[in-house]
Amino acid sequence: MKKNVWVNIGFQAGALVLALLITTLILAAAGAPPLKAYGSILNGAFGSSNNIVAVLITWAPLLLTTVGVLITFSAGLWNIGVEGQMTLGAIFATWMLRMLQDTNLPPALIIILGILWGMVGGALWASLAGALKTFGGVNEIFGGLGLNFVSTALTIYLVFGPWKRPGVGSMSGTQPFNEALWLPTLGTGLSPWGLGLSILAVILVYLLLRGTYFGLRLKAVGKNMKASYLLGIPTWQYSMFAFLLCGALAGLAGAIQVESVYHRLLPNISNGYGFLGLLVAMLINYQAIWVIPIALFFAALNVGSVQLQIVYKMDSSFAGVLQDLLVLLVLLGQGVRERFLGKA
Amino acid sequence: MISDLLSVTVLIGILASGIRLATPYLYAAIGETFGQKSGVLNLGVEGQMLLGSFAAFYVTFKTGNLWLGLLTAMLVGALMGLAMAYVTVNLHAQQGISGIGFYLFGLGMSELLFQSLMGSVETIQGFPKVHIPFLSDIPGIGEIFFSQNALVYGAYLLVPLAWFVLNKTTLGLKIRAVGENPDAADSLGVSVARVRYFTIILGGTLSGIAGASLSIALLNVFQQGMTSGQGFIAVALVYFGAWRPVGVLGGALLFSLVNSLQLWIQVLGIPIPSDIAVMMPYVLTILVLVATVSRVRAPSALSKPFERED
Repeated sequence: MKKNVWVNIGFQAGALVLALLITTLILAAAGAPPLKAYGSILNGAFGSSNNIVAVLITWAPLLLTTVGVLITFSAGLWNIGVEGQMTLGAIFATWMLRMLQDTNLPPALIIILGILWGMVGGALWASLAGALKTFGGVNEIFGGLGLNFVSTALTIYLVFGPWKRPGVGSMSGTQPFNEALWLPTLGTGLSPWGLGLSILAVILVYLLLRGTYFGLRLKAVGKNMKASYLLGIPTWQYSMFAFLLCGALAGLAGAIQVESVYHRLLPNISNGYGFLGLLVAMLINYQAIWVIPIALFFAALNVGSVQLQIVYKMDSSFAGVLQDLLVLLVLLGQGVRERFLGKA
Repeated sequence: MISDLLSVTVLIGILASGIRLATPYLYAAIGETFGQKSGVLNLGVEGQMLLGSFAAFYVTFKTGNLWLGLLTAMLVGALMGLAMAYVTVNLHAQQGISGIGFYLFGLGMSELLFQSLMGSVETIQGFPKVHIPFLSDIPGIGEIFFSQNALVYGAYLLVPLAWFVLNKTTLGLKIRAVGENPDAADSLGVSVARVRYFTIILGGTLSGIAGASLSIALLNVFQQGMTSGQGFIAVALVYFGAWRPVGVLGGALLFSLVNSLQLWIQVLGIPIPSDIAVMMPYVLTILVLVATVSRVRAPSALSKPFERED
């Protein structure tokens, strides 16, 4: 058993080395000296306190979307709709803040209500995908894809329609909120509340999946729906609940983006965090404990590669290429391992 | 102003551009149909389209040869299909994840290549219109259907061809068998792996053409992320079309006509609020989603990796 874990880690590390090798070739081919380029990514991520803060700001929503999909994965569901659920969280949070911003309620209360309402929004959106699957027989992948489009459309409609800035609506989003309604931040936009909630969510999900009866039954449903049903586990209720939880976490991520980072609703506010969360979840082989370092690594790559653009005029999309190579190579490694060492 | 929409010239314009805009959807969704029929859900279509779109544009820009550009896009798409096939067939990877991985890979890679090889947005002369003799002279009809470029005609020819291959050939039978019951197909001597390799590579090739149709036949530029979700819509169209080429055609036309209508509304400056016009294709997605609820059954083995019991 112990040996198995190390073999596992060995394969993941091998994949990382291989991914670095390939990206080094890409960098060289694109005319950037690879070592210096990696140096500047590192520098871009951790070189100054501002950069570290930027990494942490990216880290928080990624943690939330990743642990969210860990729950749905455990239930055997492909929740491709996390992007949309995060967007709805942002919309609902904005909605609550807009409704209450001119009242005499204490700002702290409004902020908290905004966050809660955002979680409700995400959960509602996820429940749509769940209902389509449970009652309509729509595969959750197709349902999620469709709902992602609709959530984008809804945001664009709100930003250009009912919630548009005084004058003309623009892609830069709605009118920013009054500063009293911003989540308190340290320095340049890092909200200890947002980060704290995200880490708390990771711990709770870890405990839920690992140490509770609920988590065990959820995993049973994911592994074998039929057997679980015969054993008397209310299967569809469990699936639905997994969707709701994941949606609430994604909604929280959206609400945090609105209240602590952008202070308004933007088109494309989910910014690929949902998809990235799916990749991280896969990369850590669905073990919640690894979310913390791997999500941090991804966040650092994303933020650090902005530096590449500045120094070498290379596109910051480099981070994406590296991340996806990593995922594909890990998949490759898992397959190779299965072939030679049998199933883990 | 609304009456502007109803004038004959505008109607012809809307229909003609609707027919044209369906092209990328058709290539991508027909390719995806083959994959899903054989039990493989490829969510990486968008990434394949983006890389194909860049490859076609870059080669055409450098060599001036449109066909060479198209060929490169097909090759790039096929290679991505090959990689996808290896990951899904040999490594039994979760298809949802590997597809998203390929999507993000295509997205990042096409941007990276664009930045380091080109750096700025250029335009080219795309595939010219081919007027079909006599037919293109028919008033109205001629302009709508018979004055399009080669890739548009190709897309529509693909529909009956795909129907024929899937339903009337041994290959089609094998594809469907592998998608419905891989164990049975395997026991009858059909190689599940070979069939799936074929369909995924074919799907990749067609996605490459879909991307090329955007960059060297319809818009004639390359911009970052220019497919703007069309690859994902193509995946949904397969579902909407109930895994039948004709259904896919219907879905593609519905989307492209609504899109074309929306573009014309903006061009003509008709006082329908533009946010509502922009919303139209998306609202359509909801309706489509609701309309297809439990209407049809997916191939039984869709998205399930096949493993022979030893």
